[in-house]
Amino acid sequence: MTLTQLAGRIRRGELSPRDAVADALARAESAQAALNAFITVRGDEALAEAEQLESHPDRGPLFGVPVAVKDVIDVAGTRTTAASRILADNVATEDSTVVARLRQAGAVVIGKLNTHEFAFGASTTSTHFGPARNPWDTDRICGGSSGGSGAVVAAGIVTGALGTDTGGSVRIPACLCGVTGLRPSTGRVPIRGVVPVSWSFDTVGPLARTAEDCALLLHVLAGVDGADPTSVRVPVPTYPDLLAPDMRGLRIGVVSHLFEGAIDPRVAETVETAVSELAGLGARVERIDALFLREADVAQQLVMLPEAAAVHLPWLRTRLAEYGDDVRVRLLAGLLLPATSVVTGQRSRRRLFEKAASLFEQHDVLVAPEMPIVAPRIGEDVVDVGGERLAYRLSLIPFNSPWSCLGLPAASVPCGFVDGLPVGMAIVGRRFDETTVLQVAHAFQQVTDWHERTPPVRA
Amino acid sequence: MSSKFSRVSSVEALREAARAQGVEPTDADLEAVRGFLATILPTLAEIEDGFGPDTAPVALFLSDQEAR
Repeated sequence: MTLTQLAGRIRRGELSPRDAVADALARAESAQAALNAFITVRGDEALAEAEQLESHPDRGPLFGVPVAVKDVIDVAGTRTTAASRILADNVATEDSTVVARLRQAGAVVIGKLNTHEFAFGASTTSTHFGPARNPWDTDRICGGSSGGSGAVVAAGIVTGALGTDTGGSVRIPACLCGVTGLRPSTGRVPIRGVVPVSWSFDTVGPLARTAEDCALLLHVLAGVDGADPTSVRVPVPTYPDLLAPDMRGLRIGVVSHLFEGAIDPRVAETVETAVSELAGLGARVERIDALFLREADVAQQLVMLPEAAAVHLPWLRTRLAEYGDDVRVRLLAGLLLPATSVVTGQRSRRRLFEKAASLFEQHDVLVAPEMPIVAPRIGEDVVDVGGERLAYRLSLIPFNSPWSCLGLPAASVPCGFVDGLPVGMAIVGRRFDETTVLQVAHAFQQVTDWHERTPPVRA
Repeated sequence: MSSKFSRVSSVEALREAARAQGVEPTDADLEAVRGFLATILPTLAEIEDGFGPDTAPVALFLSDQEAR
Protein backbone atom coordinates (compact mmCIF):
# COMPACT_ATOMS: atom_id res chain seq x y z
CA MET A 1 0.00 0.00 0.00
CA THR A 2 1.25 3.51 -0.77
CA LEU A 3 1.14 6.44 1.61
CA THR A 4 -1.55 8.10 -0.49
CA GLN A 5 -3.68 4.93 -0.35
CA LEU A 6 -3.16 4.52 3.41
CA ALA A 7 -4.08 8.16 4.06
CA GLY A 8 -7.25 7.62 2.00
CA ARG A 9 -8.24 4.52 3.98
CA ILE A 10 -7.81 6.32 7.30
CA ARG A 11 -9.64 9.41 6.07
CA ARG A 12 -12.58 7.26 4.95
CA GLY A 13 -12.72 5.57 8.36
CA GLU A 14 -11.69 2.12 7.05
CA LEU A 15 -8.76 2.10 9.47
CA SER A 16 -8.31 4.08 12.67
CA PRO A 17 -5.15 6.08 13.36
CA ARG A 18 -4.51 3.90 16.38
CA ASP A 19 -4.74 0.68 14.38
CA ALA A 20 -2.55 2.12 11.61
CA VAL A 21 0.10 3.11 14.13
CA ALA A 22 -0.16 -0.17 16.07
CA ASP A 23 0.28 -2.12 12.82
CA ALA A 24 3.35 -0.08 11.90
CA LEU A 25 4.85 -0.56 15.36
CA ALA A 26 4.31 -4.32 15.11
CA ARG A 27 6.05 -4.37 11.72
CA ALA A 28 8.91 -2.27 13.10
CA GLU A 29 9.40 -4.71 15.95
CA SER A 30 9.25 -7.81 13.79
CA ALA A 31 11.78 -6.50 11.25
CA GLN A 32 14.24 -4.88 13.67
CA ALA A 33 16.40 -7.98 14.18
CA ALA A 34 16.82 -8.41 10.42
CA LEU A 35 17.22 -4.76 9.41
CA ASN A 36 18.37 -2.72 12.44
CA ALA A 37 16.59 0.20 10.82
CA PHE A 38 15.44 1.92 14.01
CA ILE A 39 17.57 3.53 16.69
CA THR A 40 14.56 4.49 18.81
CA VAL A 41 10.97 3.26 18.54
CA ARG A 42 8.37 5.63 20.02
CA GLY A 43 5.92 2.83 20.91
CA ASP A 44 3.86 4.22 23.78
CA GLU A 45 4.20 7.84 22.67
CA ALA A 46 3.09 7.09 19.12
CA LEU A 47 0.07 5.08 20.27
CA ALA A 48 -0.95 7.85 22.67
CA GLU A 49 -0.58 10.46 19.93
CA ALA A 50 -2.67 8.33 17.55
CA GLU A 51 -5.43 7.97 20.16
CA GLN A 52 -5.45 11.72 20.73
CA LEU A 53 -5.80 12.26 17.00
CA GLU A 54 -8.97 10.22 16.84
CA SER A 55 -10.86 12.88 18.77
CA HIS A 56 -9.20 15.69 16.83
CA PRO A 57 -11.62 17.52 14.53
CA ASP A 58 -8.94 18.94 12.23
CA ARG A 59 -7.89 16.19 9.82
CA GLY A 60 -4.81 17.08 7.81
CA PRO A 61 -3.58 15.38 4.62
CA LEU A 62 -1.56 12.84 6.64
CA PHE A 63 -4.23 12.23 9.27
CA GLY A 64 -3.28 9.14 11.28
CA VAL A 65 -0.48 8.08 8.93
CA PRO A 66 2.51 6.50 10.72
CA VAL A 67 5.88 7.81 9.53
CA ALA A 68 9.46 7.59 10.75
CA VAL A 69 12.32 10.09 10.62
CA LYS A 70 16.08 9.85 10.39
CA ASP A 71 17.75 10.15 13.77
CA VAL A 72 19.25 13.56 13.08
CA ILE A 73 15.79 15.17 13.05
CA ASP A 74 14.49 16.38 16.40
CA VAL A 75 11.27 15.04 17.88
CA ALA A 76 10.47 16.69 21.22
CA GLY A 77 11.01 14.36 24.16
CA THR A 78 12.83 11.73 22.09
CA ARG A 79 16.58 11.34 21.83
CA THR A 80 18.40 12.46 18.70
CA THR A 81 21.59 10.40 18.57
CA ALA A 82 22.77 10.96 15.00
CA ALA A 83 23.95 7.34 15.41
CA SER A 84 26.84 8.73 17.44
CA ARG A 85 28.25 8.04 20.87
CA ILE A 86 28.59 11.78 21.43
CA LEU A 87 24.83 12.40 21.20
CA ALA A 88 23.73 9.00 22.54
CA ASP A 89 21.78 10.59 25.42
CA ASN A 90 20.73 13.81 23.69
CA VAL A 91 16.99 14.30 24.18
CA ALA A 92 15.38 16.95 21.98
CA THR A 93 13.42 19.64 23.76
CA GLU A 94 11.52 20.86 20.70
CA ASP A 95 10.23 19.46 17.45
CA SER A 96 12.20 20.31 14.35
CA THR A 97 10.24 22.37 11.85
CA VAL A 98 9.67 19.36 9.60
CA VAL A 99 8.34 17.21 12.45
CA ALA A 100 6.09 20.04 13.59
CA ARG A 101 4.71 20.21 10.03
CA LEU A 102 4.22 16.44 9.87
CA ARG A 103 2.27 16.55 13.13
CA GLN A 104 0.22 19.50 11.95
CA ALA A 105 -0.73 17.43 8.89
CA GLY A 106 -1.85 14.60 11.18
CA ALA A 107 1.10 12.20 10.85
CA VAL A 108 2.39 10.17 13.80
CA VAL A 109 6.15 9.67 14.15
CA ILE A 110 6.70 6.08 15.27
CA GLY A 111 10.47 6.21 15.56
CA LYS A 112 13.94 7.47 14.75
CA LEU A 113 15.90 5.78 12.02
CA ASN A 114 19.45 4.54 11.69
CA THR A 115 21.90 6.75 9.82
CA HIS A 116 25.57 7.01 9.05
CA GLU A 117 27.20 8.62 12.11
CA PHE A 118 26.30 12.34 12.06
CA ALA A 119 24.85 11.81 8.54
CA PHE A 120 28.44 12.10 7.35
CA GLY A 121 28.88 9.08 5.09
CA ALA A 122 26.95 6.91 2.64
CA SER A 123 26.91 3.45 4.25
CA THR A 124 24.82 3.62 7.46
CA THR A 125 27.28 1.38 9.26
CA SER A 126 27.56 3.18 12.61
CA THR A 127 30.14 1.61 14.89
CA HIS A 128 27.94 2.67 17.82
CA PHE A 129 24.52 1.42 16.71
CA GLY A 130 25.41 -1.22 14.11
CA PRO A 131 24.69 -1.28 10.39
CA ALA A 132 21.24 -0.89 8.90
CA ARG A 133 20.65 -3.84 6.55
CA ASN A 134 19.16 -3.81 3.08
CA PRO A 135 15.76 -5.57 2.82
CA TRP A 136 16.77 -6.91 -0.62
CA ASP A 137 19.80 -8.70 0.87
CA THR A 138 20.57 -8.26 4.54
CA ASP A 139 24.29 -8.82 3.96
CA ARG A 140 24.33 -5.54 2.04
CA ILE A 141 24.22 -1.89 3.02
CA CYS A 142 21.16 0.31 2.58
CA GLY A 143 23.28 3.19 1.38
CA GLY A 144 23.25 6.37 3.35
CA SER A 145 23.34 8.39 5.17
CA SER A 146 19.54 7.96 5.44
CA GLY A 147 19.90 4.17 5.28
CA GLY A 148 17.23 3.38 7.87
CA SER A 149 14.79 5.58 5.96
CA GLY A 150 15.32 3.59 2.77
CA ALA A 151 15.03 0.27 4.61
CA VAL A 152 11.75 0.98 6.42
CA VAL A 153 9.97 2.12 3.26
CA ALA A 154 11.29 -0.78 1.17
CA ALA A 155 10.30 -3.30 3.84
CA GLY A 156 6.81 -1.80 4.16
CA ILE A 157 7.16 -0.86 7.82
CA VAL A 158 5.95 2.67 7.07
CA THR A 159 4.78 4.17 3.80
CA GLY A 160 6.82 7.35 4.20
CA ALA A 161 9.98 8.46 5.96
CA LEU A 162 12.19 11.53 6.16
CA GLY A 163 15.86 11.58 5.39
CA THR A 164 18.41 14.33 4.96
CA ASP A 165 20.56 14.93 1.91
CA THR A 166 23.80 16.91 1.85
CA GLY A 167 25.68 15.04 -0.87
CA GLY A 168 23.24 12.26 -1.83
CA SER A 169 21.94 10.95 1.48
CA VAL A 170 18.28 10.69 0.45
CA ARG A 171 18.91 9.62 -3.14
CA ILE A 172 21.52 6.93 -2.44
CA PRO A 173 19.46 4.86 0.04
CA ALA A 174 16.34 5.37 -2.07
CA CYS A 175 18.27 3.91 -5.01
CA LEU A 176 19.92 1.01 -3.19
CA CYS A 177 16.69 0.05 -1.38
CA GLY A 178 14.43 0.36 -4.45
CA VAL A 179 12.19 3.21 -3.29
CA THR A 180 11.53 6.77 -4.44
CA GLY A 181 13.42 9.62 -2.77
CA LEU A 182 13.55 13.34 -3.34
CA ARG A 183 16.25 15.81 -2.41
CA PRO A 184 14.44 19.17 -2.56
CA SER A 185 16.16 22.34 -3.71
CA THR A 186 18.42 23.77 -1.05
CA GLY A 187 16.28 26.19 0.99
CA ARG A 188 12.94 24.64 -0.02
CA VAL A 189 12.40 22.72 3.25
CA PRO A 190 13.54 24.19 6.59
CA ILE A 191 16.41 22.44 8.36
CA ARG A 192 15.84 23.97 11.82
CA GLY A 193 16.08 21.24 14.48
CA VAL A 194 18.20 18.95 12.29
CA VAL A 195 21.78 18.06 13.26
CA PRO A 196 23.77 19.90 10.57
CA VAL A 197 26.39 18.48 8.26
CA SER A 198 26.99 21.53 6.10
CA TRP A 199 24.62 24.50 6.02
CA SER A 200 25.36 25.29 2.39
CA PHE A 201 24.04 21.92 1.17
CA ASP A 202 21.82 20.39 3.86
CA THR A 203 18.26 19.47 2.90
CA VAL A 204 15.44 17.36 4.37
CA GLY A 205 13.57 15.17 1.91
CA PRO A 206 10.97 12.40 1.70
CA LEU A 207 11.42 8.71 0.89
CA ALA A 208 8.31 6.76 -0.09
CA ARG A 209 7.18 4.11 -2.50
CA THR A 210 6.00 6.50 -5.23
CA ALA A 211 6.57 9.99 -6.59
CA GLU A 212 2.94 10.73 -5.76
CA ASP A 213 3.69 9.98 -2.09
CA CYS A 214 6.81 12.15 -2.20
CA ALA A 215 4.69 14.97 -3.65
CA LEU A 216 2.25 14.69 -0.76
CA LEU A 217 5.04 14.71 1.82
CA LEU A 218 6.88 17.58 0.15
CA HIS A 219 3.75 19.68 0.14
CA VAL A 220 3.53 19.24 3.91
CA LEU A 221 7.23 19.95 4.50
CA ALA A 222 7.97 22.83 2.13
CA GLY A 223 7.82 26.55 2.83
CA VAL A 224 9.85 29.23 4.53
CA ASP A 225 10.40 29.15 8.29
CA GLY A 226 11.15 32.56 9.76
CA ALA A 227 13.30 30.90 12.43
CA ASP A 228 15.52 29.20 9.81
CA PRO A 229 17.83 31.58 7.92
CA THR A 230 18.63 28.89 5.32
CA SER A 231 15.03 28.51 4.20
CA VAL A 232 13.92 30.54 1.21
CA ARG A 233 10.68 32.47 0.70
CA VAL A 234 9.37 31.08 -2.60
CA PRO A 235 5.83 29.96 -3.45
CA VAL A 236 4.99 26.32 -2.65
CA PRO A 237 2.99 24.64 -5.42
CA THR A 238 0.27 22.13 -4.55
CA TYR A 239 2.49 19.28 -5.76
CA PRO A 240 -0.01 16.40 -5.49
CA ASP A 241 -2.43 18.26 -7.80
CA LEU A 242 0.19 18.86 -10.47
CA LEU A 243 1.26 15.33 -11.37
CA ALA A 244 -0.18 15.32 -14.90
CA PRO A 245 1.49 12.38 -16.64
CA ASP A 246 1.56 14.05 -20.08
CA MET A 247 5.21 14.19 -21.12
CA ARG A 248 4.77 15.38 -24.70
CA GLY A 249 7.13 18.21 -25.50
CA LEU A 250 9.15 17.90 -22.31
CA ARG A 251 12.88 18.29 -23.01
CA ILE A 252 15.04 15.75 -21.21
CA GLY A 253 18.85 15.95 -21.21
CA VAL A 254 20.70 12.67 -20.71
CA VAL A 255 23.99 13.32 -18.92
CA SER A 256 26.18 11.22 -21.22
CA HIS A 257 29.41 10.99 -19.26
CA LEU A 258 27.65 9.41 -16.27
CA PHE A 259 26.75 6.38 -18.41
CA GLU A 260 30.40 5.69 -19.25
CA GLY A 261 33.61 4.93 -17.39
CA ALA A 262 33.33 4.19 -13.69
CA ILE A 263 29.91 2.52 -13.77
CA ASP A 264 28.75 -1.09 -13.87
CA PRO A 265 27.71 -1.43 -17.53
CA ARG A 266 24.65 -3.42 -16.51
CA VAL A 267 23.51 -0.50 -14.35
CA ALA A 268 24.11 1.92 -17.23
CA GLU A 269 22.13 -0.30 -19.59
CA THR A 270 19.24 -0.56 -17.11
CA VAL A 271 19.02 3.22 -16.82
CA GLU A 272 19.30 3.59 -20.63
CA THR A 273 16.23 1.37 -20.92
CA ALA A 274 14.41 3.60 -18.43
CA VAL A 275 15.34 6.67 -20.46
CA SER A 276 13.85 5.07 -23.56
CA GLU A 277 10.59 4.60 -21.60
CA LEU A 278 10.56 8.37 -21.07
CA ALA A 279 11.09 8.91 -24.78
CA GLY A 280 8.20 6.54 -25.42
CA LEU A 281 5.97 8.82 -23.35
CA GLY A 282 6.57 11.64 -25.80
CA ALA A 283 9.45 13.46 -24.15
CA ARG A 284 12.20 14.85 -26.38
CA VAL A 285 15.32 13.08 -25.17
CA GLU A 286 18.78 14.38 -26.09
CA ARG A 287 22.22 13.29 -24.95
CA ILE A 288 24.20 16.18 -23.53
CA ASP A 289 27.84 16.89 -22.91
CA ALA A 290 28.22 18.18 -19.35
CA LEU A 291 31.75 17.18 -18.42
CA PHE A 292 32.14 20.48 -16.58
CA LEU A 293 30.02 18.95 -13.81
CA ARG A 294 33.05 16.91 -12.72
CA GLU A 295 34.42 20.02 -11.05
CA ALA A 296 31.50 19.81 -8.60
CA ASP A 297 32.90 16.57 -7.17
CA VAL A 298 35.70 18.47 -5.46
CA ALA A 299 33.99 21.87 -5.21
CA GLN A 300 31.40 20.44 -2.86
CA GLN A 301 34.09 18.83 -0.69
CA LEU A 302 35.95 22.15 -0.43
CA VAL A 303 32.92 23.81 1.15
CA MET A 304 31.29 20.88 2.93
CA LEU A 305 34.32 19.52 4.80
CA PRO A 306 35.30 22.80 6.51
CA GLU A 307 31.65 23.56 7.33
CA ALA A 308 31.31 20.11 8.92
CA ALA A 309 34.55 20.66 10.86
CA ALA A 310 33.14 23.98 12.10
CA VAL A 311 29.95 22.24 13.28
CA HIS A 312 31.99 19.66 15.18
CA LEU A 313 34.92 21.77 16.40
CA PRO A 314 33.96 21.77 20.10
CA TRP A 315 33.74 17.95 20.06
CA LEU A 316 36.87 17.58 17.94
CA ARG A 317 38.65 19.37 20.79
CA THR A 318 37.16 17.33 23.62
CA ARG A 319 35.74 14.03 22.33
CA LEU A 320 37.79 13.19 19.25
CA ALA A 321 38.23 9.50 20.09
CA GLU A 322 34.47 9.00 20.30
CA TYR A 323 33.93 9.36 16.53
CA GLY A 324 34.00 6.38 14.22
CA ASP A 325 37.26 6.20 12.25
CA ASP A 326 35.86 7.27 8.87
CA VAL A 327 33.93 10.24 10.22
CA ARG A 328 36.85 11.39 12.38
CA VAL A 329 39.21 11.41 9.41
CA ARG A 330 36.83 13.40 7.20
CA LEU A 331 36.19 15.95 9.94
CA LEU A 332 39.93 16.34 10.53
CA ALA A 333 40.44 16.79 6.80
CA GLY A 334 37.92 19.64 6.93
CA LEU A 335 39.83 21.16 9.80
CA LEU A 336 43.15 20.92 7.96
CA LEU A 337 42.25 22.01 4.44
CA PRO A 338 43.78 25.39 3.52
CA ALA A 339 41.67 28.30 4.76
CA THR A 340 41.14 29.47 1.18
CA SER A 341 39.53 26.20 0.15
CA VAL A 342 36.01 27.33 1.08
CA VAL A 343 36.39 30.44 -1.08
CA THR A 344 37.80 28.35 -3.92
CA GLY A 345 34.84 26.00 -3.60
CA GLN A 346 32.36 28.88 -3.67
CA ARG A 347 34.10 30.46 -6.68
CA SER A 348 33.92 27.10 -8.42
CA ARG A 349 30.20 26.93 -7.64
CA ARG A 350 29.76 30.34 -9.30
CA ARG A 351 31.30 28.96 -12.49
CA LEU A 352 29.19 25.80 -12.23
CA PHE A 353 25.96 27.79 -11.76
CA GLU A 354 26.67 29.78 -14.91
CA LYS A 355 27.34 26.70 -17.01
CA ALA A 356 24.41 24.75 -15.56
CA ALA A 357 22.04 27.64 -16.33
CA SER A 358 22.69 27.15 -20.03
CA LEU A 359 21.89 23.43 -19.71
CA PHE A 360 18.51 24.27 -18.23
CA GLU A 361 17.76 26.79 -20.96
CA GLN A 362 17.62 23.84 -23.34
CA HIS A 363 16.27 21.10 -21.07
CA ASP A 364 13.49 20.87 -18.50
CA VAL A 365 15.11 18.04 -16.56
CA LEU A 366 18.33 16.05 -16.69
CA VAL A 367 18.49 12.29 -16.16
CA ALA A 368 21.38 10.00 -15.19
CA PRO A 369 22.08 6.87 -13.20
CA GLU A 370 21.60 7.60 -9.50
CA MET A 371 24.45 5.25 -8.53
CA PRO A 372 27.12 3.44 -10.58
CA ILE A 373 26.62 0.15 -8.73
CA VAL A 374 24.06 -1.83 -6.78
CA ALA A 375 24.29 -2.12 -2.99
CA PRO A 376 27.72 -3.36 -1.83
CA ARG A 377 28.14 -5.88 0.95
CA ILE A 378 28.47 -4.53 4.49
CA GLY A 379 32.15 -3.79 5.11
CA GLU A 380 33.00 -3.73 1.38
CA ASP A 381 34.71 -0.34 1.31
CA VAL A 382 36.35 -0.92 -2.07
CA VAL A 383 34.02 -1.94 -4.89
CA ASP A 384 34.30 -3.16 -8.45
CA VAL A 385 32.92 -0.44 -10.72
CA GLY A 386 32.92 -1.45 -14.34
CA GLY A 387 36.18 -3.38 -13.94
CA GLU A 388 37.86 -0.69 -11.86
CA ARG A 389 38.52 -1.02 -8.12
CA LEU A 390 37.31 2.14 -6.39
CA ALA A 391 36.54 3.28 -2.86
CA TYR A 392 32.75 3.03 -2.49
CA ARG A 393 32.71 6.60 -1.12
CA LEU A 394 34.50 7.95 -4.19
CA SER A 395 32.45 5.92 -6.66
CA LEU A 396 29.20 7.70 -5.83
CA ILE A 397 30.41 11.32 -5.73
CA PRO A 398 30.20 12.09 -9.49
CA PHE A 399 26.58 10.89 -9.51
CA ASN A 400 25.45 12.95 -6.53
CA SER A 401 27.66 15.96 -5.79
CA PRO A 402 26.87 17.97 -8.94
CA TRP A 403 23.19 18.31 -8.06
CA SER A 404 23.92 19.05 -4.39
CA CYS A 405 26.58 21.57 -5.32
CA LEU A 406 24.10 23.39 -7.55
CA GLY A 407 21.29 23.24 -4.97
CA LEU A 408 18.98 21.49 -7.44
CA PRO A 409 16.02 19.20 -6.75
CA ALA A 410 16.87 15.59 -7.59
CA ALA A 411 14.84 12.41 -7.30
CA SER A 412 15.88 8.78 -7.43
CA VAL A 413 13.25 6.44 -8.86
CA PRO A 414 13.49 2.64 -9.07
CA CYS A 415 14.06 1.59 -12.69
CA GLY A 416 15.21 -2.04 -12.70
CA PHE A 417 17.42 -4.68 -11.10
CA VAL A 418 20.95 -6.03 -11.49
CA ASP A 419 21.81 -9.26 -9.65
CA GLY A 420 18.41 -9.03 -7.94
CA LEU A 421 19.26 -5.64 -6.44
CA PRO A 422 17.57 -2.31 -7.22
CA VAL A 423 18.87 0.28 -9.69
CA GLY A 424 17.74 3.91 -9.61
CA MET A 425 17.42 6.70 -12.15
CA ALA A 426 18.19 10.27 -11.11
CA ILE A 427 15.84 13.01 -12.34
CA VAL A 428 17.15 16.53 -11.78
CA GLY A 429 15.29 19.81 -12.22
CA ARG A 430 15.81 23.55 -12.14
CA ARG A 431 16.15 25.12 -8.69
CA PHE A 432 12.75 25.15 -6.96
CA ASP A 433 11.15 23.21 -9.82
CA GLU A 434 10.39 20.07 -7.85
CA THR A 435 7.09 19.97 -9.73
CA THR A 436 8.64 18.93 -13.05
CA VAL A 437 10.92 16.40 -11.35
CA LEU A 438 7.92 14.80 -9.64
CA GLN A 439 5.88 14.90 -12.85
CA VAL A 440 8.55 12.98 -14.76
CA ALA A 441 8.96 10.48 -11.93
CA HIS A 442 5.20 10.01 -11.68
CA ALA A 443 4.77 9.58 -15.44
CA PHE A 444 7.54 6.94 -15.41
CA GLN A 445 5.78 5.12 -12.57
CA GLN A 446 2.50 5.09 -14.50
CA VAL A 447 4.07 2.88 -17.19
CA THR A 448 6.50 0.80 -15.09
CA ASP A 449 6.14 -1.29 -11.96
CA TRP A 450 9.68 -1.24 -10.54
CA HIS A 451 8.44 0.82 -7.58
CA GLU A 452 5.89 -1.87 -6.75
CA ARG A 453 8.43 -4.70 -6.39
CA THR A 454 8.86 -5.92 -2.84
CA PRO A 455 12.03 -7.26 -1.20
CA PRO A 456 12.50 -10.62 0.55
CA VAL A 457 12.46 -8.93 3.96
CA ARG A 458 8.95 -7.53 4.04
CA ALA A 459 7.40 -6.73 7.41
CA MET B 1 52.84 26.11 -11.28
CA SER B 2 50.22 24.69 -8.96
CA SER B 3 51.82 21.27 -8.46
CA LYS B 4 54.19 22.46 -5.74
CA PHE B 5 51.19 23.79 -3.80
CA SER B 6 49.17 20.60 -4.17
CA ARG B 7 51.57 18.54 -2.06
CA VAL B 8 50.05 17.23 1.16
CA SER B 9 51.67 18.53 4.32
CA SER B 10 53.72 16.22 6.53
CA VAL B 11 52.19 14.54 9.57
CA GLU B 12 54.12 16.97 11.76
CA ALA B 13 52.83 20.02 9.93
CA LEU B 14 49.26 18.71 10.09
CA ARG B 15 49.69 18.01 13.81
CA GLU B 16 50.84 21.58 14.42
CA ALA B 17 47.91 22.97 12.44
CA ALA B 18 45.47 20.81 14.41
CA ARG B 19 47.04 21.75 17.74
CA ALA B 20 46.78 25.43 16.85
CA GLN B 21 43.01 24.86 16.73
CA GLY B 22 42.94 22.92 19.99
CA VAL B 23 42.64 19.44 18.44
CA GLU B 24 45.02 16.54 19.22
CA PRO B 25 44.78 13.80 16.56
CA THR B 26 46.82 10.58 16.72
CA ASP B 27 49.51 9.67 14.19
CA ALA B 28 47.15 7.13 12.65
CA ASP B 29 44.49 9.84 12.24
CA LEU B 30 46.97 12.17 10.59
CA GLU B 31 48.26 9.52 8.19
CA ALA B 32 44.67 8.81 7.15
CA VAL B 33 44.00 12.54 6.76
CA ARG B 34 47.07 12.83 4.50
CA GLY B 35 45.66 10.07 2.28
CA PHE B 36 42.27 11.77 2.19
CA LEU B 37 43.71 15.19 1.34
CA ALA B 38 45.82 13.64 -1.42
CA THR B 39 42.57 12.87 -3.25
CA ILE B 40 41.46 16.53 -3.07
CA LEU B 41 44.43 18.88 -3.18
CA PRO B 42 45.61 18.28 -6.77
CA THR B 43 42.12 19.12 -8.06
CA LEU B 44 41.90 22.11 -5.71
CA ALA B 45 45.08 23.47 -7.31
CA GLU B 46 43.68 22.88 -10.81
CA ILE B 47 40.46 24.68 -9.94
CA GLU B 48 42.37 27.65 -8.49
CA ASP B 49 44.42 27.94 -11.66
CA GLY B 50 41.28 28.12 -13.81
CA PHE B 51 39.66 31.21 -12.29
CA GLY B 52 39.58 34.62 -13.87
CA PRO B 53 39.78 37.63 -11.53
CA ASP B 54 36.04 38.26 -11.93
CA THR B 55 34.96 34.84 -10.63
CA ALA B 56 33.41 35.95 -7.36
CA PRO B 57 32.41 33.33 -4.80
CA VAL B 58 28.80 32.32 -4.33
CA ALA B 59 27.51 34.02 -1.21
CA LEU B 60 26.52 32.03 1.81
CA PHE B 61 22.77 32.13 2.24
CA LEU B 62 21.22 35.42 3.35
CA SER B 63 17.95 35.26 5.20
CA ASP B 64 15.08 37.39 3.94
CA GLN B 65 15.66 39.74 6.85
CA GLU B 66 19.42 40.00 6.35
CA ALA B 67 19.06 40.56 2.63
CA ARG B 68 16.93 43.69 3.12
